[in-house]
Amino acid sequence: MGSVFSAPIFFIMFRETTEAAIIVSVLLSFISQVIVDDPALYRRLRWHVWIGVAIGLIISLIIGGAFIAIWNTVAKNVFQTSEELWEGSFALIACIMITIMALAMLKSQDMQEKWRGKLSAQMDNIDTNQSMTNRSGKYALLILPMITVLREGLEAMIFVGGVTFETEAKSIPLAAITGLLAGALVGFLIYRGGSRLTLHRFFVASTCFLLLIAAGLFAKAIQAYEMDKWNKIVGGDADDAGSYDPRGNVWALSWGNPNDPNAGGYAFLNSILGWSNIASVGTITGYCVYWLGVIGAILFLKFKGKRAAAARRAEEPSAAYAQEKVAEKEI
Amino acid sequence: MLASIKSLALVALASTVAQAAVVTYDWNITYVNTNADGLFERRVIGVNGQFPPPAINVTLNDTLVINVINNLDQPTSLHSHGLFQTGNAQFDGPSMVTQCPIPPGANFTYTIPIEQHGTYWIHGHFGGQYVDGLRAPLIIHNLNETYKYDEEYTIALADWYHQEHSVMLEQYLSIFNPSGAEPVPESALINQMLDQKFNFVPGKTYRLRIINMSALAMFHFHIDGHEIEIIEVDGIDVERQKVSSFPITAAQRYSVLVTAKADTSMNYIIHADMDPAMFDVVPDELVLNITGTIVYNEASPLAPEELSQWEPFNDAELVPVVPLATQAPDQVFALTAAFSVLNDYSNKATFNDITYVMPKVPSLYTALSTGNLSSNPEVYGKYAHPMVLKHNDWVEIVINNDDPGNHPFHLHGHVFQIVGRGEGKYDPSSGPYPGYLNTTNPSRRDTVLVPSEENVAIRFQANNPGVWLFHCHIEWHLQAGLATTIIEAPEIMPSVLKVDPTHYEHCKALGIPFSGNAAGKEGLDLAGANLGPDPLPGTFTGKGIVALVFTIIAALLGLGTVIWYAREDDAQIASQIAQAKIAQEEETH
Repeated sequence: MGSVFSAPIFFIMFRETTEAAIIVSVLLSFISQVIVDDPALYRRLRWHVWIGVAIGLIISLIIGGAFIAIWNTVAKNVFQTSEELWEGSFALIACIMITIMALAMLKSQDMQEKWRGKLSAQMDNIDTNQSMTNRSGKYALLILPMITVLREGLEAMIFVGGVTFETEAKSIPLAAITGLLAGALVGFLIYRGGSRLTLHRFFVASTCFLLLIAAGLFAKAIQAYEMDKWNKIVGGDADDAGSYDPRGNVWALSWGNPNDPNAGGYAFLNSILGWSNIASVGTITGYCVYWLGVIGAILFLKFKGKRAAAARRAEEPSAAYAQEKVAEKEI
Repeated sequence: MLASIKSLALVALASTVAQAAVVTYDWNITYVNTNADGLFERRVIGVNGQFPPPAINVTLNDTLVINVINNLDQPTSLHSHGLFQTGNAQFDGPSMVTQCPIPPGANFTYTIPIEQHGTYWIHGHFGGQYVDGLRAPLIIHNLNETYKYDEEYTIALADWYHQEHSVMLEQYLSIFNPSGAEPVPESALINQMLDQKFNFVPGKTYRLRIINMSALAMFHFHIDGHEIEIIEVDGIDVERQKVSSFPITAAQRYSVLVTAKADTSMNYIIHADMDPAMFDVVPDELVLNITGTIVYNEASPLAPEELSQWEPFNDAELVPVVPLATQAPDQVFALTAAFSVLNDYSNKATFNDITYVMPKVPSLYTALSTGNLSSNPEVYGKYAHPMVLKHNDWVEIVINNDDPGNHPFHLHGHVFQIVGRGEGKYDPSSGPYPGYLNTTNPSRRDTVLVPSEENVAIRFQANNPGVWLFHCHIEWHLQAGLATTIIEAPEIMPSVLKVDPTHYEHCKALGIPFSGNAAGKEGLDLAGANLGPDPLPGTFTGKGIVALVFTIIAALLGLGTVIWYAREDDAQIASQIAQAKIAQEEETH
């Protein structure tokens, strides 16, 4: 299964599509709230949003897709000679990118709130300038989603690109499409007013999965570097022969080889958990150290958040005092 | 009248007695420096200060005596390859099988009754000394040869290395050679020298005795412009077989008859082409095809070189001149040869998953000193891979080659019949062997090539009490453990074999026990026996399980931290939803 469905790609596409869908749903719900007495304008503005999203999506797919294709074909040919070295480096890059994304997802748990905040500021501008009739403002609701989706889309492409190096080409399409569909579904549910709590828990679960994947990638990167070193000593492609460095080996199983084409289940476990039938002191330690690093990062985020909240509360008394003053004046 | 008949009889009697001579060779084994292939000077093992060691020539019914003085800095021993050593197993030679090796500085006399004739060779059988040059042809003449020829030449082929065998062996067996790639020779030689020339006189018939003394290489032999007829294989005379070329693996021998041309206008090239299939890699500098010259006239030019075309050849089709019908076997063994990385992390060879490791006591001495237990394979140690045979039983061994390489297997103390060939692996539990050849006089020899992923069935009668090594004759593979020990008729060995006490003195000098089981102890107490590496378990060991548990704990802790972090936001969202609900309700009221 791991060979036709790449879990990291799925989660990346899911997350990026969800965020884009949230933007769309916020804009659409905003339009339906504001434009209550002009059906023609209402319809036109809704179209603007969809067209803007579509254009943004297409451009980002073209640019990103081209980038990935060129990078993959050029890079893969160049890197054949020290295959393991490059595979290890790409696994490490993918691990870092996925970890950042997973933690960001955790941090910006309220994407809707964030986007509402951002977009309402922009909407206020548009409203006060009565730019529905203004030329530049006319297409604001087209340009805004287009730029947003473009930016999100390119971000997704870069993340996907970072991950595809160490992914089989045929595992990408299915994962990308299902990620896209799942993200669209989530956006639709949000628009319809789905439960924020369920959504939040969905995102937390996604974060957990992504971190598991990233931990596995970290171990894979270490294994690739060790295999490259062993290949250089032994002189040849030891991995194909099932050979490994016996010094520091922790387990070497006759079953469970993720590269075995007949046992796809292990390839799937490899992509989700980083499972391998060969483990060394290096890979096991690396895996545990990764999780320690993640725990450290999360603790840091928590304390940073607490300090920021405390700082805000410290400011509030002065704001409240100012408001009181104004109220006093008015009275 | 009567007096002349009597004197004639006396003369005849005298001549037969005179024919059974004692032929003595004094072999002072020393190191010699030489540049045999003209490419590299190196230290080799020579005899009497000379390299190459001289050929041994004896005649049927002679007694061959070799007085060995070991002037090396390491032990040594000599094996006369192909000689039956009937009732003489203690002089067969392989170290820790039939004797303790000869200590440095010591003397050892091999006394061997010659009971056969043909083309043989003698070589070191301690470590890989023969690869360092301790090898020479051993030609046994017959006063009444089966075939008539005018003269004979010996053409001994061998691959040649520039490094000493012990140095290469360390690299070959190290953990950094998991694929078991054998060291590739740097060159090859005829008669361990360069530029060999063989003079041919027009009209004469020559017998060429071709020996392959290699560590690894297989040669394809052919002569430009001349037809060759095989007349002998591994000491067995066979019916003439005309060939244009034939392959010869390590340790095999062939005799061919060649008729010299009628004119002396040209000289011709003798080809010995090494088969690249035997080598892990073929370096560009390696000259695979070596040559010698047949000289009709020193002044004549060389005939243009012919294109090398190797003919396929099935030595099972050769017909021995002296027929020997085969018989249904009393015992059948199946031995599967394979190579893999074992739990000492080096690539080793196994027969049925057992790799050969020398016992603490030479197996022959174990057989002679353990009384009734000598028929119990346990006393020889598991890793000597003993196969016990009953006296005069007909024994069949099916050799399965479960390896991508081709292997020449050699049995000491016997020639065997080639009774069958097949593809793949034969499993005795699946029924009778399906590949028998339909012949009443099967081909016989002592070294047979089993090609990659094929099997060969050989048969012989256990009529020679003794301990006989059965092994692949690629020296690297013998060192990697591709050997078994045949314990033949141990129950009658003590009555047939008498070991000179001086042999045991050499054991004492080297600190090697010379009686008891494989651990040097009494009975079946094998504690302390030499153990070999075993196949890798391929499962979780203790440390693997501990490591797995650590990774699971680490992942659970990490995920737990994520959920812990998210709980606060979770609670916040829940309260916001509750507040919004309250606000909504207030509005509607």
